[in-house]
Amino acid sequence: MVAFCDAETGAYRSRRIARHLANCEGCREQLLRIEREKEELSAGAMAPAIDSLQGLAGVRSAIAAWRDGRSWATSELKNRLRWQLETYFGSPALLEVDRPGTQAEELLGRTSEMLDVFLGPNAAEAVRDDCLSGLSFAGPAEETCL
Amino acid sequence: MTRKTSLDGLESAPRWIFTFLGAYATVTLLVLYLWNAAGQVFSIQGTSDSTSALSATGMAAVSLWLCLVVWRSFPAGSPLRFTWMLLALAAAAQATSGVLTDFLGTNWLLNPLLWSEQPKSGLIGQIRQAALIAGGPMRLALLAAAMLAVLRVLRKYGFPVRPAAADWAVSGIVCMFAFSRLGEACAATIAGRQIGQADWVSLAGLPILCVLSMEAMLLRRSVARMGKGLIARGWLVLGYGILLTVTGEAVLWVLSHFSQTLPLAMVSALMPLTIGSAFALVPAYQLVAQRRAMRPADSQPEDLSAGVPELAR
Repeated sequence: MVAFCDAETGAYRSRRIARHLANCEGCREQLLRIEREKEELSAGAMAPAIDSLQGLAGVRSAIAAWRDGRSWATSELKNRLRWQLETYFGSPALLEVDRPGTQAEELLGRTSEMLDVFLGPNAAEAVRDDCLSGLSFAGPAEETCL
Repeated sequence: MTRKTSLDGLESAPRWIFTFLGAYATVTLLVLYLWNAAGQVFSIQGTSDSTSALSATGMAAVSLWLCLVVWRSFPAGSPLRFTWMLLALAAAAQATSGVLTDFLGTNWLLNPLLWSEQPKSGLIGQIRQAALIAGGPMRLALLAAAMLAVLRVLRKYGFPVRPAAADWAVSGIVCMFAFSRLGEACAATIAGRQIGQADWVSLAGLPILCVLSMEAMLLRRSVARMGKGLIARGWLVLGYGILLTVTGEAVLWVLSHFSQTLPLAMVSALMPLTIGSAFALVPAYQLVAQRRAMRPADSQPEDLSAGVPELAR
């Protein structure tokens, strides 16, 4: 959703998100909230007060929460990618691609490449979107249907 | 997410192909039963293979259409686009051969070449020969090129294989069969017997069959390294389709050395459709995988962990 607000989603994905937003009240509200927060941030209304101990603690707790959320999103992404790899290729292919220590970004890149080659770009993009949907990488997953 | 739904009949194409093949086999077996029963009462001398040829041509047309749909889904520059083009051309060669043989290459009433006052029997003969070449060596060469292309892609993307003893053994058996047929043809020529055009065309395809059998074994093992997923399934069927083609050639050769008894005739009648169905399943399974990927997210399992395979968890 944040990427959509920043116009960083591709044309295909943007069209799909826009179609979904036309029908989903919950996601429209999420989008409005994100847009509002962005405006407030840019206006400096939500600048954190780190000149006091209390303010610093707040910032640190926000960073910790962000880290937790990112770790959750990473683990969830890897699970989704593994599921897709096993569905479209099979267990041996999964073991080949998902070696111990493979990062989520690396797994995403490798899976995307294989799906692009064997499934075609449109289908691969759809699978990629499904894997990334609902994962904001900016905190615990927000309840969106995307 | 309301992704555009395009869940047309293409997603259930494999089911339709299996259903048609099963129904055809059932009817054929029923005919066999009736034939045996009637044979004790009436004297029946032969069978017509036109129905099997027509159904095989129809299946080749279906295969061509499905291959074209898949081919269009791969943009220019995609590694597998060339493979799908070759598979589509092979299906086109098979369908064209069937149409030429069944409609323009036979002496039946609906053949327009026979409508004129002077029937063009010479042209019909040439058409028949062209059909044999298109459905024989040309199609096999296209399949061999497609197999080579897909093996290269599989090797490049992490599924390389080297020929094992079993692969050499199967390929060796096919080579022995090819040498037997060539030897038989040479002996017949030396003895002064005439060999028909169909036999010569069939002999020309034998070296390609040897290459194809090796490629099919390699593809089978390469796909085994991939797994049993939706994409893997289609390529596995291609390998088995090739092996069935080779087996079919051998069975037909064996049949010609025996009397045309009914069970063997039925096997030869079922073989073209079975092989055609195997080749039609290749793009059909690919389409199943593609359509599944494009399916709306709403129709995916709600609880992801419930749908996650054990290994992925």
